[in-house]
Amino acid sequence: MNVLVNNPSDLQKAAETFLHQYPDARVVAFHGSMGAGKTTLIKAICQQLGVNDVVNSPTFALVNEYTCPNGQSVYHFDFYRINKLEEVYDMGYEEYIESGQYCFMEWPERIESLLPDNCIHIHIEETNNNQRIIRSID
Amino acid sequence: MSRITVLGIESSCDDTSAAVIQDGFLRSNVVAGQKVHEAYGGVVPELASRAHQQNIIPVVDAALKQAGIGVADLSAVAFTRGPGLMGSLLVGTSFAKGLARAKGIPLVEVNHLQAHILAHFIEVESEAHVSPCFPFLCLLVSGGNSQIVLVRDYHDMEVIGQTIDDAAGEAFDKCAKVMGLPYPGGPWIDRLAAQGNPKAFQFSKPHIAGYDYSFSGLKTSFLYKLRDALVENPNFIEENKTDLCASLQKTIVDILMDKLKKAAKDLGIREVAVAGGVSANSGLRTAFEEYAQRYRWNIHIPKFAYTTDNAAMIAMSGYFKAINHDYIGMDAVPFSKTRF
Repeated sequence: MNVLVNNPSDLQKAAETFLHQYPDARVVAFHGSMGAGKTTLIKAICQQLGVNDVVNSPTFALVNEYTCPNGQSVYHFDFYRINKLEEVYDMGYEEYIESGQYCFMEWPERIESLLPDNCIHIHIEETNNNQRIIRSID
Repeated sequence: MSRITVLGIESSCDDTSAAVIQDGFLRSNVVAGQKVHEAYGGVVPELASRAHQQNIIPVVDAALKQAGIGVADLSAVAFTRGPGLMGSLLVGTSFAKGLARAKGIPLVEVNHLQAHILAHFIEVESEAHVSPCFPFLCLLVSGGNSQIVLVRDYHDMEVIGQTIDDAAGEAFDKCAKVMGLPYPGGPWIDRLAAQGNPKAFQFSKPHIAGYDYSFSGLKTSFLYKLRDALVENPNFIEENKTDLCASLQKTIVDILMDKLKKAAKDLGIREVAVAGGVSANSGLRTAFEEYAQRYRWNIHIPKFAYTTDNAAMIAMSGYFKAINHDYIGMDAVPFSKTRF
Protein backbone atom coordinates (compact mmCIF):
# COMPACT_ATOMS: atom_id res chain seq x y z
CA MET A 1 0.00 0.00 0.00
CA ASN A 2 1.02 3.60 -0.57
CA VAL A 3 -1.53 6.08 0.76
CA LEU A 4 -1.47 9.84 1.33
CA VAL A 5 -3.31 10.87 4.51
CA ASN A 6 -4.67 14.40 4.88
CA ASN A 7 -7.34 14.00 7.55
CA PRO A 8 -8.97 11.49 9.92
CA SER A 9 -11.29 10.06 7.24
CA ASP A 10 -8.28 9.36 4.98
CA LEU A 11 -6.79 7.52 7.93
CA GLN A 12 -9.84 5.26 8.25
CA LYS A 13 -9.53 4.57 4.52
CA ALA A 14 -5.85 3.75 4.94
CA ALA A 15 -6.74 1.30 7.72
CA GLU A 16 -9.35 -0.28 5.43
CA THR A 17 -6.86 -0.52 2.56
CA PHE A 18 -4.34 -2.20 4.85
CA LEU A 19 -6.79 -4.86 6.05
CA HIS A 20 -8.00 -5.43 2.50
CA GLN A 21 -4.49 -5.85 1.11
CA TYR A 22 -3.21 -8.01 3.97
CA PRO A 23 -6.18 -10.05 5.21
CA ASP A 24 -3.88 -12.68 6.73
CA ALA A 25 -1.34 -10.34 8.32
CA ARG A 26 -1.00 -10.99 12.04
CA VAL A 27 2.43 -9.57 12.97
CA VAL A 28 2.78 -5.98 11.80
CA ALA A 29 5.60 -3.53 12.56
CA PHE A 30 4.80 0.19 12.47
CA HIS A 31 7.76 2.45 11.75
CA GLY A 32 7.73 6.22 12.16
CA SER A 33 9.29 8.96 14.25
CA MET A 34 7.74 10.32 17.43
CA GLY A 35 4.46 12.07 16.65
CA ALA A 36 4.20 10.44 13.19
CA GLY A 37 0.94 8.78 14.23
CA LYS A 38 1.75 5.13 14.88
CA THR A 39 -0.73 4.84 17.77
CA THR A 40 -3.33 6.77 15.77
CA LEU A 41 -3.03 4.42 12.78
CA ILE A 42 -3.24 1.33 15.01
CA LYS A 43 -6.31 2.86 16.65
CA ALA A 44 -7.90 3.25 13.19
CA ILE A 45 -7.07 -0.36 12.23
CA CYS A 46 -8.55 -1.60 15.54
CA GLN A 47 -11.67 0.43 14.83
CA GLN A 48 -11.94 -1.29 11.42
CA LEU A 49 -11.53 -4.64 13.20
CA GLY A 50 -14.48 -3.73 15.42
CA VAL A 51 -12.50 -3.41 18.66
CA ASN A 52 -14.59 -1.73 21.38
CA ASP A 53 -11.81 -1.35 23.95
CA VAL A 54 -10.00 1.96 24.43
CA VAL A 55 -6.91 1.82 22.22
CA ASN A 56 -4.19 3.93 23.81
CA SER A 57 -0.42 4.11 23.91
CA PRO A 58 1.34 1.09 25.45
CA THR A 59 4.64 2.93 25.94
CA PHE A 60 4.62 2.32 29.69
CA ALA A 61 2.73 -0.98 29.78
CA LEU A 62 4.81 -2.39 26.85
CA VAL A 63 1.74 -4.25 25.59
CA ASN A 64 -2.00 -3.55 25.60
CA GLU A 65 -4.57 -6.20 24.81
CA TYR A 66 -7.87 -5.67 23.00
CA THR A 67 -10.60 -8.02 21.80
CA CYS A 68 -12.32 -8.16 18.38
CA PRO A 69 -16.03 -9.08 18.14
CA ASN A 70 -15.03 -12.45 16.60
CA GLY A 71 -13.02 -13.29 19.71
CA GLN A 72 -9.60 -12.59 18.18
CA SER A 73 -7.17 -10.69 20.37
CA VAL A 74 -5.09 -7.71 19.38
CA TYR A 75 -1.75 -7.27 21.17
CA HIS A 76 -0.52 -3.70 20.81
CA PHE A 77 3.19 -3.45 21.61
CA ASP A 78 5.53 -0.54 22.15
CA PHE A 79 9.23 -1.37 22.41
CA TYR A 80 10.30 2.24 23.07
CA ARG A 81 11.37 1.40 26.64
CA ILE A 82 13.19 -1.82 25.79
CA ASN A 83 16.94 -1.57 26.36
CA LYS A 84 18.04 -5.17 26.10
CA LEU A 85 16.62 -8.06 24.10
CA GLU A 86 16.44 -10.29 27.19
CA GLU A 87 13.83 -7.90 28.59
CA VAL A 88 11.60 -8.84 25.67
CA TYR A 89 11.92 -12.54 26.47
CA ASP A 90 11.09 -11.78 30.12
CA MET A 91 7.80 -10.19 29.08
CA GLY A 92 6.78 -13.35 27.19
CA TYR A 93 7.33 -11.98 23.67
CA GLU A 94 7.45 -15.39 21.98
CA GLU A 95 4.11 -16.48 23.41
CA TYR A 96 2.49 -13.35 22.03
CA ILE A 97 4.12 -13.57 18.59
CA GLU A 98 3.33 -17.25 18.16
CA SER A 99 -0.24 -16.92 19.43
CA GLY A 100 -1.69 -16.42 15.94
CA GLN A 101 -3.46 -13.28 17.23
CA TYR A 102 -2.91 -9.78 15.86
CA CYS A 103 0.41 -8.30 17.04
CA PHE A 104 0.78 -4.62 16.17
CA MET A 105 4.18 -3.25 17.14
CA GLU A 106 5.44 0.31 17.65
CA TRP A 107 9.19 1.02 17.74
CA PRO A 108 10.00 -2.41 16.19
CA GLU A 109 13.54 -1.16 15.43
CA ARG A 110 14.40 -1.83 19.10
CA ILE A 111 13.92 -5.58 18.66
CA GLU A 112 14.67 -5.89 14.94
CA SER A 113 16.52 -9.22 15.18
CA LEU A 114 13.50 -10.84 16.88
CA LEU A 115 10.91 -9.91 14.25
CA PRO A 116 9.50 -12.96 12.47
CA ASP A 117 10.03 -13.41 8.71
CA ASN A 118 6.34 -13.03 7.91
CA CYS A 119 6.18 -9.62 9.60
CA ILE A 120 4.58 -6.85 7.51
CA HIS A 121 6.30 -3.47 7.81
CA ILE A 122 4.32 -0.24 7.64
CA HIS A 123 6.22 3.05 7.37
CA ILE A 124 4.64 6.38 8.27
CA GLU A 125 6.41 9.42 6.85
CA GLU A 126 5.61 13.05 7.52
CA THR A 127 5.56 15.48 4.60
CA ASN A 128 6.55 19.14 4.96
CA ASN A 129 2.95 20.26 5.24
CA ASN A 130 2.07 17.76 7.99
CA GLN A 131 0.42 15.18 5.77
CA ARG A 132 1.35 11.53 6.19
CA ILE A 133 2.42 8.94 3.65
CA ILE A 134 1.69 5.37 4.74
CA ARG A 135 3.63 2.70 2.89
CA SER A 136 3.87 -1.04 3.33
CA ILE A 137 6.84 -3.32 2.75
CA ASP A 138 6.35 -7.07 2.97
CA MET B 1 -7.18 -11.94 69.21
CA SER B 2 -4.75 -13.24 66.64
CA ARG B 3 -3.06 -10.82 64.31
CA ILE B 4 -3.84 -10.53 60.61
CA THR B 5 -0.60 -10.43 58.65
CA VAL B 6 -0.68 -10.11 54.87
CA LEU B 7 2.26 -10.44 52.49
CA GLY B 8 1.78 -8.48 49.25
CA ILE B 9 3.58 -9.33 46.02
CA GLU B 10 3.79 -7.04 42.99
CA SER B 11 5.32 -8.03 39.65
CA SER B 12 3.07 -6.51 37.00
CA CYS B 13 5.57 -4.45 35.05
CA ASP B 14 9.17 -3.30 35.64
CA ASP B 15 9.75 -3.71 39.37
CA THR B 16 9.51 -6.68 41.73
CA SER B 17 8.25 -5.71 45.16
CA ALA B 18 7.07 -7.32 48.41
CA ALA B 19 5.49 -5.77 51.50
CA VAL B 20 3.95 -6.76 54.82
CA ILE B 21 0.81 -5.26 56.38
CA GLN B 22 -0.02 -6.31 59.92
CA ASP B 23 -3.41 -5.42 61.45
CA GLY B 24 -3.75 -2.59 58.93
CA PHE B 25 -0.31 -1.08 59.47
CA LEU B 26 2.57 -1.21 57.01
CA ARG B 27 5.58 -3.12 58.41
CA SER B 28 7.80 -3.23 55.31
CA ASN B 29 7.84 -2.30 51.64
CA VAL B 30 10.77 -3.53 49.57
CA VAL B 31 11.35 -2.89 45.87
CA ALA B 32 14.03 -4.89 44.00
CA GLY B 33 17.32 -3.10 43.80
CA GLN B 34 21.03 -3.66 44.10
CA LYS B 35 20.86 -3.34 47.91
CA VAL B 36 18.33 -6.13 48.28
CA HIS B 37 20.54 -8.50 46.34
CA GLU B 38 23.62 -7.52 48.32
CA ALA B 39 21.81 -8.13 51.62
CA TYR B 40 20.64 -11.52 50.37
CA GLY B 41 24.20 -12.44 49.46
CA GLY B 42 23.62 -12.72 45.76
CA VAL B 43 25.99 -11.32 43.19
CA VAL B 44 23.95 -9.47 40.61
CA PRO B 45 26.17 -7.41 38.32
CA GLU B 46 23.35 -5.49 36.73
CA LEU B 47 19.69 -5.52 37.57
CA ALA B 48 17.57 -5.74 34.46
CA SER B 49 14.03 -4.45 34.43
CA ARG B 50 11.41 -7.17 34.70
CA ALA B 51 13.90 -9.83 35.94
CA HIS B 52 11.20 -10.92 38.38
CA GLN B 53 12.32 -14.52 38.65
CA GLN B 54 15.75 -13.38 39.84
CA ASN B 55 14.31 -10.81 42.23
CA ILE B 56 11.33 -12.38 43.88
CA ILE B 57 12.95 -14.54 46.56
CA PRO B 58 15.44 -11.90 47.82
CA VAL B 59 12.68 -9.27 47.82
CA VAL B 60 10.19 -11.39 49.79
CA ASP B 61 12.95 -12.40 52.19
CA ALA B 62 13.92 -8.77 52.78
CA ALA B 63 10.27 -7.74 53.31
CA LEU B 64 9.74 -10.45 55.96
CA LYS B 65 13.01 -9.58 57.72
CA GLN B 66 12.29 -5.85 57.77
CA ALA B 67 8.84 -6.58 59.19
CA GLY B 68 10.50 -8.72 61.86
CA ILE B 69 8.38 -11.75 61.07
CA GLY B 70 8.80 -15.21 59.60
CA VAL B 71 6.81 -17.07 56.95
CA ALA B 72 4.93 -18.91 59.71
CA ASP B 73 3.41 -15.59 60.89
CA LEU B 74 1.58 -14.93 57.61
CA SER B 75 -2.22 -15.14 57.58
CA ALA B 76 -2.61 -14.66 53.80
CA VAL B 77 -0.69 -13.95 50.60
CA ALA B 78 -1.90 -11.20 48.26
CA PHE B 79 -0.63 -10.85 44.71
CA THR B 80 -1.17 -8.62 41.68
CA ARG B 81 -3.31 -10.63 39.30
CA GLY B 82 -3.42 -7.90 36.63
CA PRO B 83 -3.42 -5.84 34.55
CA GLY B 84 0.18 -6.07 33.44
CA LEU B 85 2.62 -8.08 31.40
CA MET B 86 1.67 -11.75 31.25
CA GLY B 87 5.26 -13.01 31.69
CA SER B 88 5.82 -10.71 34.66
CA LEU B 89 2.49 -11.42 36.36
CA LEU B 90 3.05 -15.17 36.11
CA VAL B 91 6.14 -14.95 38.32
CA GLY B 92 4.32 -13.21 41.18
CA THR B 93 1.20 -15.34 40.78
CA SER B 94 3.11 -18.64 40.78
CA PHE B 95 5.21 -17.61 43.75
CA ALA B 96 2.14 -16.54 45.74
CA LYS B 97 0.37 -19.82 44.97
CA GLY B 98 3.40 -21.88 45.92
CA LEU B 99 3.78 -20.08 49.23
CA ALA B 100 0.06 -20.26 50.03
CA ARG B 101 -0.04 -23.99 49.30
CA ALA B 102 3.15 -24.75 51.22
CA LYS B 103 1.98 -22.88 54.32
CA GLY B 104 -1.71 -23.74 54.02
CA ILE B 105 -2.80 -20.08 54.05
CA PRO B 106 -5.37 -18.35 51.83
CA LEU B 107 -4.59 -16.54 48.60
CA VAL B 108 -5.91 -13.06 47.81
CA GLU B 109 -6.01 -11.50 44.33
CA VAL B 110 -5.46 -7.77 43.84
CA ASN B 111 -6.18 -5.52 40.86
CA HIS B 112 -3.13 -3.34 40.30
CA LEU B 113 -5.09 -0.23 39.29
CA GLN B 114 -7.44 -0.46 42.28
CA ALA B 115 -4.39 -0.93 44.49
CA HIS B 116 -2.92 2.39 43.30
CA ILE B 117 -6.04 4.03 44.68
CA LEU B 118 -6.14 2.02 47.91
CA ALA B 119 -2.56 3.22 48.53
CA HIS B 120 -4.32 6.19 50.16
CA PHE B 121 -5.22 3.92 53.08
CA ILE B 122 -1.67 2.80 53.86
CA GLU B 123 -0.86 3.68 57.44
CA VAL B 124 2.37 3.47 59.38
CA GLU B 125 1.99 3.06 63.15
CA SER B 126 2.73 6.25 65.11
CA GLU B 127 2.43 8.46 62.01
CA ALA B 128 -0.59 10.73 61.62
CA HIS B 129 -2.74 9.80 58.64
CA VAL B 130 -6.05 10.94 57.16
CA SER B 131 -7.68 8.52 54.74
CA PRO B 132 -10.17 9.76 52.13
CA CYS B 133 -13.88 9.38 52.92
CA PHE B 134 -16.18 7.55 50.48
CA PRO B 135 -17.23 8.47 47.91
CA PHE B 136 -14.18 10.24 46.55
CA LEU B 137 -12.67 11.04 43.17
CA CYS B 138 -9.17 9.86 42.40
CA LEU B 139 -7.00 11.15 39.57
CA LEU B 140 -4.72 8.24 38.67
CA VAL B 141 -1.78 9.61 36.69
CA SER B 142 1.39 7.76 35.80
CA GLY B 143 3.53 6.79 32.84
CA GLY B 144 0.82 4.39 31.75
CA ASN B 145 -2.44 5.77 33.16
CA SER B 146 -4.49 8.94 33.16
CA GLN B 147 -7.86 8.19 34.64
CA ILE B 148 -10.52 9.75 36.80
CA VAL B 149 -11.97 7.11 39.10
CA LEU B 150 -15.10 7.39 41.21
CA VAL B 151 -14.39 5.41 44.38
CA ARG B 152 -17.55 4.37 46.24
CA ASP B 153 -15.97 1.78 48.51
CA TYR B 154 -12.76 -0.26 48.88
CA HIS B 155 -13.87 -2.60 46.14
CA ASP B 156 -16.44 -0.51 44.29
CA MET B 157 -14.71 1.77 41.78
CA GLU B 158 -15.72 3.14 38.40
CA VAL B 159 -13.50 4.72 35.74
CA ILE B 160 -15.44 7.78 34.60
CA GLY B 161 -12.73 9.23 32.37
CA GLN B 162 -9.49 8.05 30.84
CA THR B 163 -6.95 8.88 28.18
CA ILE B 164 -7.85 7.95 24.64
CA ASP B 165 -4.20 7.99 23.52
CA ASP B 166 -1.07 8.88 25.56
CA ALA B 167 -0.85 9.01 29.35
CA ALA B 168 0.09 12.28 31.09
CA GLY B 169 3.40 10.83 32.31
CA GLU B 170 4.19 9.78 28.77
CA ALA B 171 3.56 13.34 27.51
CA PHE B 172 6.13 14.55 30.06
CA ASP B 173 8.66 11.86 29.14
CA LYS B 174 8.33 12.16 25.37
CA CYS B 175 8.47 15.98 25.29
CA ALA B 176 11.52 15.78 27.57
CA LYS B 177 13.17 13.48 25.08
CA VAL B 178 12.55 15.97 22.27
CA MET B 179 14.42 18.55 24.38
CA GLY B 180 17.29 16.13 24.90
CA LEU B 181 16.57 15.47 28.59
CA PRO B 182 17.28 12.02 30.12
CA TYR B 183 14.61 9.34 30.70
CA PRO B 184 12.36 9.50 32.63
CA GLY B 185 12.04 13.16 31.75
CA GLY B 186 9.09 14.09 34.00
CA PRO B 187 11.21 14.96 37.06
CA TRP B 188 13.64 16.96 34.89
CA ILE B 189 10.84 19.03 33.41
CA ASP B 190 9.50 19.62 36.92
CA ARG B 191 12.88 20.92 38.13
CA LEU B 192 13.51 23.17 35.12
CA ALA B 193 9.91 24.44 35.12
CA ALA B 194 10.46 26.00 38.55
CA GLN B 195 12.78 28.59 36.95
CA GLY B 196 10.67 29.29 33.85
CA ASN B 197 7.68 31.34 32.80
CA PRO B 198 4.59 29.13 32.42
CA LYS B 199 2.95 31.68 30.11
CA ALA B 200 5.88 31.99 27.67
CA PHE B 201 4.48 29.49 25.16
CA GLN B 202 1.03 28.25 24.18
CA PHE B 203 0.46 24.61 23.27
CA SER B 204 -2.73 23.10 21.95
CA LYS B 205 -5.24 21.69 24.41
CA PRO B 206 -7.57 18.85 23.45
CA HIS B 207 -11.32 19.22 23.01
CA ILE B 208 -12.63 15.87 24.13
CA ALA B 209 -16.15 15.20 25.38
CA GLY B 210 -16.93 14.02 28.92
CA TYR B 211 -14.13 13.31 31.37
CA ASP B 212 -11.73 11.66 28.91
CA TYR B 213 -8.20 12.88 28.31
CA SER B 214 -5.95 13.15 25.26
CA PHE B 215 -2.26 14.05 25.30
CA SER B 216 -1.20 12.93 21.83
CA GLY B 217 -2.09 16.27 20.21
CA LEU B 218 -0.11 18.19 22.82
CA LYS B 219 2.95 16.03 22.13
CA THR B 220 2.69 16.74 18.39
CA SER B 221 2.05 20.45 18.96
CA PHE B 222 5.15 20.63 21.18
CA LEU B 223 7.19 18.74 18.57
CA TYR B 224 6.11 21.09 15.73
CA LYS B 225 6.71 24.22 17.81
CA LEU B 226 10.30 23.11 18.43
CA ARG B 227 10.88 21.92 14.89
CA ASP B 228 9.76 25.26 13.41
CA ALA B 229 11.65 27.34 15.97
CA LEU B 230 14.86 25.39 15.44
CA VAL B 231 14.84 26.37 11.76
CA GLU B 232 15.00 30.04 12.77
CA ASN B 233 17.32 29.58 15.71
CA PRO B 234 19.40 26.41 16.21
CA ASN B 235 19.88 27.30 19.91
CA PHE B 236 16.15 27.71 20.52
CA ILE B 237 15.83 24.80 22.95
CA GLU B 238 18.90 25.75 25.02
CA GLU B 239 17.88 29.41 25.22
CA ASN B 240 14.27 28.67 26.18
CA LYS B 241 14.50 25.40 28.09
CA THR B 242 13.09 26.63 31.41
CA ASP B 243 10.22 28.51 29.73
CA LEU B 244 9.42 25.52 27.52
CA CYS B 245 9.34 23.23 30.56
CA ALA B 246 7.22 25.64 32.60
CA SER B 247 4.73 26.17 29.76
CA LEU B 248 4.50 22.46 28.97
CA GLN B 249 4.00 21.53 32.63
CA LYS B 250 1.31 24.15 33.05
CA THR B 251 -0.52 22.88 29.95
CA ILE B 252 -0.45 19.24 31.14
CA VAL B 253 -1.56 20.19 34.66
CA ASP B 254 -4.35 22.44 33.30
CA ILE B 255 -5.64 19.61 31.10
CA LEU B 256 -5.65 17.20 34.07
CA MET B 257 -7.29 19.64 36.48
CA ASP B 258 -9.98 20.92 34.07
CA LYS B 259 -11.61 17.49 33.72
CA LEU B 260 -11.17 16.66 37.39
CA LYS B 261 -12.86 19.93 38.34
CA LYS B 262 -15.73 19.21 35.93
CA ALA B 263 -16.20 15.71 37.38
CA ALA B 264 -16.10 17.01 40.97
CA LYS B 265 -18.66 19.69 40.17
CA ASP B 266 -21.02 17.42 38.21
CA LEU B 267 -20.97 14.70 40.87
CA GLY B 268 -20.98 17.11 43.83
CA ILE B 269 -17.91 15.50 45.37
CA ARG B 270 -15.33 17.51 47.30
CA GLU B 271 -13.19 14.64 48.52
CA VAL B 272 -10.45 14.47 45.85
CA ALA B 273 -7.29 12.35 45.71
CA VAL B 274 -4.38 11.85 43.35
CA ALA B 275 -2.45 8.61 42.79
CA GLY B 276 0.31 7.31 40.51
CA GLY B 277 3.86 8.51 39.86
CA VAL B 278 2.91 11.85 38.30
CA SER B 279 1.44 12.91 41.67
CA ALA B 280 5.06 13.76 42.59
CA ASN B 281 4.97 16.63 40.08
CA SER B 282 5.14 19.91 41.97
CA GLY B 283 2.97 21.71 39.41
CA LEU B 284 0.20 19.18 39.97
CA ARG B 285 0.60 19.34 43.76
CA THR B 286 0.37 23.15 43.71
CA ALA B 287 -2.72 22.95 41.52
CA PHE B 288 -4.33 20.51 43.98
CA GLU B 289 -3.63 22.89 46.85
CA GLU B 290 -5.06 25.85 44.91
CA TYR B 291 -8.19 23.92 44.01
CA ALA B 292 -8.56 22.80 47.63
CA GLN B 293 -8.70 26.47 48.66
CA ARG B 294 -10.83 27.67 45.78
CA TYR B 295 -13.40 24.86 45.66
CA ARG B 296 -13.14 23.72 49.31
CA TRP B 297 -11.87 20.29 48.33
CA ASN B 298 -10.42 17.90 50.90
CA ILE B 299 -7.34 16.74 49.03
CA HIS B 300 -5.25 13.59 49.52
CA ILE B 301 -1.72 13.28 48.12
CA PRO B 302 0.11 10.06 49.06
CA LYS B 303 3.78 9.61 49.94
CA PHE B 304 5.90 9.15 46.83
CA ALA B 305 6.97 5.60 47.79
CA TYR B 306 3.33 4.54 47.58
CA THR B 307 2.65 6.19 44.21
CA THR B 308 5.01 4.27 41.93
CA ASP B 309 4.59 0.50 41.49
CA ASN B 310 5.01 -1.03 44.97
CA ALA B 311 3.76 -3.96 47.01
CA ALA B 312 2.61 -1.88 50.00
CA MET B 313 -0.51 -1.00 48.04
CA ILE B 314 -0.98 -4.67 47.08
CA ALA B 315 -0.65 -5.79 50.71
CA MET B 316 -3.06 -3.01 51.81
CA SER B 317 -5.67 -4.02 49.21
CA GLY B 318 -5.10 -7.67 50.14
CA TYR B 319 -5.64 -6.86 53.80
CA PHE B 320 -9.06 -5.27 53.10
CA LYS B 321 -10.07 -8.44 51.27
CA ALA B 322 -8.54 -10.83 53.83
CA ILE B 323 -10.54 -9.32 56.69
CA ASN B 324 -13.68 -10.10 54.65
CA HIS B 325 -12.39 -13.61 53.88
CA ASP B 326 -12.50 -12.68 50.19
CA TYR B 327 -10.08 -15.34 48.97
CA ILE B 328 -9.39 -16.88 45.59
CA GLY B 329 -8.72 -20.46 44.49
CA MET B 330 -5.48 -22.02 43.28
CA ASP B 331 -6.80 -22.02 39.72
CA ALA B 332 -6.65 -18.20 39.44
CA VAL B 333 -4.73 -17.08 36.36
CA PRO B 334 -3.30 -13.61 35.75
CA PHE B 335 -5.01 -11.21 33.34
CA SER B 336 -3.14 -8.76 31.15
CA LYS B 337 -6.03 -6.72 29.82
CA THR B 338 -6.91 -3.44 31.51
CA ARG B 339 -9.96 -3.79 33.73
CA PHE B 340 -11.09 -2.30 36.98
